Amino acid sequence: MLDQFKATFKEESFELLATLENTFLELESQPLNGELINAAFRAIHTIKGSAAMFGFDSVSRFAHEFETALDLCRNGTLSVTKDFIGLALKGRDHIRRLLDFDEPVPAEVQGESGPLLDRFRGFSKKAAPQEGGAAPEPEQAPAKAEPAARGTFRIEFKPSKDISRDGTKVLSLVEELARLGQADVFPHTEGIPRLSELDPEACYCWWDVLLTGEIDENAIRDVFIFVGDQAELRIEQVGEGGDGSAGASTKRLGDILVERGSATPETIQEALKTQRKLGEVLVERHIVSKQEIESALVEQEHLKKIQEKSEAIVGSIRVASDKLDALVDLVGELVTLQARLSRTSFELRDAQLSSISEQFERLIAQLRDNTMSIRMLPIGSTFNKFRRVVRDLSLELGKECELVTEGAETELDKTVIEKLGDPLVHIIRNSIDHGIEKPEGREAAGKPRTGTIKLSALHSGAYVLIRVSDDGKGLDREAIREKAIQRGLISPNQELSEQEILQLIFEPGFSTAKVVTTVSGRGVGMDVVKREIDSLGGNVQIDSAPGQGMTVTLKIPLTLAIIEGLLVRIGREFFVVPLSSVDGIIEIPKADIASMGERRIISYRDEFVPYVALRGFFGTEEDDASEEPEIEQMVIASAQDSRVGFVVDQVIGDNQTVIKPLGRLYRDVEGISGATILGDGTVALILDINRLSLLVQREGANRAAGAA
Amino acid sequence: MQGSKSARTVNLQGPLTIDKAAGIKASLAEALAAASVVIVDISSAEDMDLACLQALYAARAEAKAGGKQLHLEGTIPLRVAQRLSACGFLRGMPERAEEFEASLVGF
Repeated sequence: MLDQFKATFKEESFELLATLENTFLELESQPLNGELINAAFRAIHTIKGSAAMFGFDSVSRFAHEFETALDLCRNGTLSVTKDFIGLALKGRDHIRRLLDFDEPVPAEVQGESGPLLDRFRGFSKKAAPQEGGAAPEPEQAPAKAEPAARGTFRIEFKPSKDISRDGTKVLSLVEELARLGQADVFPHTEGIPRLSELDPEACYCWWDVLLTGEIDENAIRDVFIFVGDQAELRIEQVGEGGDGSAGASTKRLGDILVERGSATPETIQEALKTQRKLGEVLVERHIVSKQEIESALVEQEHLKKIQEKSEAIVGSIRVASDKLDALVDLVGELVTLQARLSRTSFELRDAQLSSISEQFERLIAQLRDNTMSIRMLPIGSTFNKFRRVVRDLSLELGKECELVTEGAETELDKTVIEKLGDPLVHIIRNSIDHGIEKPEGREAAGKPRTGTIKLSALHSGAYVLIRVSDDGKGLDREAIREKAIQRGLISPNQELSEQEILQLIFEPGFSTAKVVTTVSGRGVGMDVVKREIDSLGGNVQIDSAPGQGMTVTLKIPLTLAIIEGLLVRIGREFFVVPLSSVDGIIEIPKADIASMGERRIISYRDEFVPYVALRGFFGTEEDDASEEPEIEQMVIASAQDSRVGFVVDQVIGDNQTVIKPLGRLYRDVEGISGATILGDGTVALILDINRLSLLVQREGANRAAGAA
Repeated sequence: MQGSKSARTVNLQGPLTIDKAAGIKASLAEALAAASVVIVDISSAEDMDLACLQALYAARAEAKAGGKQLHLEGTIPLRVAQRLSACGFLRGMPERAEEFEASLVGF
């Protein structure tokens, strides 16, 4: 059980740390933004508290000094400098690292805490020399007023009798207080005497106010700043409005009365024994006044409202992703089974069965779409981490770069998003390292000193297009070409299209950087990008304008679980071509193919398209030679920028393809990206169109070279 | 005039602020002494602060204690309803005097 809590703690801390990183980065550009400082303080404060609770002592101890420093920033004693942000980011990273281990944390990691802590203490000391350099009291920080989180406060405002005499407008104060957030105000009028005893200028009323909002105790005190000692003010936090974790709805009247000090737990227990309404009994017994009960009821109501509201706002639950994966698997099974059902009903030609099957099909389609949408996450969550990459790298390389993001709300399958992280980091690094010039160089070229890296995402059919563009110097085609020749990647007289030249930077072992930096230039990186994107079934395109920058476009399928496919047959084998890459289908008499001989090129829409006979490619030829049809069909698929034809025996039709990974034995089979199970239980292989077209083009090039 | 069944109406006009409180107290006390039913019309009030509101409460308590009645009458000015509602004395912002009276906390 505790392990489960620990896991949740870690998960939540990771989220907090991710947000924190962003907060610090924003703080760097707006160092005076109090809200950001508060947010950072709160995050560290929370981590410190929960870490201690779950026994992560080293995290808690480390977070303590961190928190102390942030607290000094919060009250303005310590100014947020670039240096401090740098340290804060390092501190954040260190906590992240500490969390990777269970207690006891290995000594070498633990050892990294010391120097960072010293620097934090250094900042704190510098800021607060009046404390005589003594370390702050350990328990001081958390005891301080909570920063402006969303919270619910109970405020008891008891003006003195004479408050109005010097012109203080009591009602205006209460109104102002109520404006701070969502308020329930309860006035106590029981003190007002009869008219004959009334001092017309005295104040007899006092208030209980329940206030929920993004406020802290100081904001509340500020309302009463000019009241001085003319009023008693009691402020208590009764719950955090935002997360609904206060258990507000379960708060009972008795608890509220005890909390307020209106009654003791014993009297409440005693009264509860009567089995009557608690309020009535307490009033009857003169333990609390009727007004106190009413006021407590107002509080109960307020907390309930806040609770309901926060539930309505949040309205989401946390689900372990493996449960989600299991759900997707099951839906996949259902889709497969459904295919079988519709096939069977079609074969049986039973009207009743087909109507059921059709309804079933519609439902399954909805279920599939719904399930898929659950797995969709906005890509913005990954965008955030790139801010840090850009910051650290430009600092390291002495460049000035700014990251602009667009389309952060674009949704993409969870698995895809996870796999996108590394490739994007590589591309961005490459842009900063090779693309963006040094500030002086940029100025000389008439560009702004600060380079801009733009990261954008948008939907395009069944794909998401992710673009990373920079306004740097662009790619040097000649340099790439030379390098490729030097590395033996191409032959010196090989004719290459512009795109082909640019694509060379994705070849393993390719690097044009003259100086190897810690960042890039070792030839690792861009080939990883290509590989990862290929494994996602996507592709990479590069555009470059010399002197103006380059753009890398990643075209990624929305999901990796279920796709629309085109089912084809070759001999007795079935294959699936992802429908999104299918361009067209044409028929060719066998004789025509034979007549083309070795050329293997056909004309399609005024374009010469290389093709491959899959029958030969997959070696199904010998077994089924007799079954070869007189008229063959060719699926024209587009991959990257070019088209490739695939000769098949028969095109069967569209197919909801639930993608199953291939076993280890098939890992090295070229041209296959996965498998799926068809309605009748047979297995069909999914063609890797990108890979296949590459092979076809290479083959064509080799043949041409051989002929020459 | 002094008959126990008679009703007296007190008109409260303009901004009912603390500097008027003593005067309001006096006129309410006078009316309560003179009649068994006192009607207070605040439809021409422009505002009301705590002192004057307390005077109304106190007059009501006085009436109850003496076996008399004190009621409000007329349309409640929006400004008054707004202010009292914001300070928790009122639930909602009633326009009619009877509703106003009924929803005034502890009145």
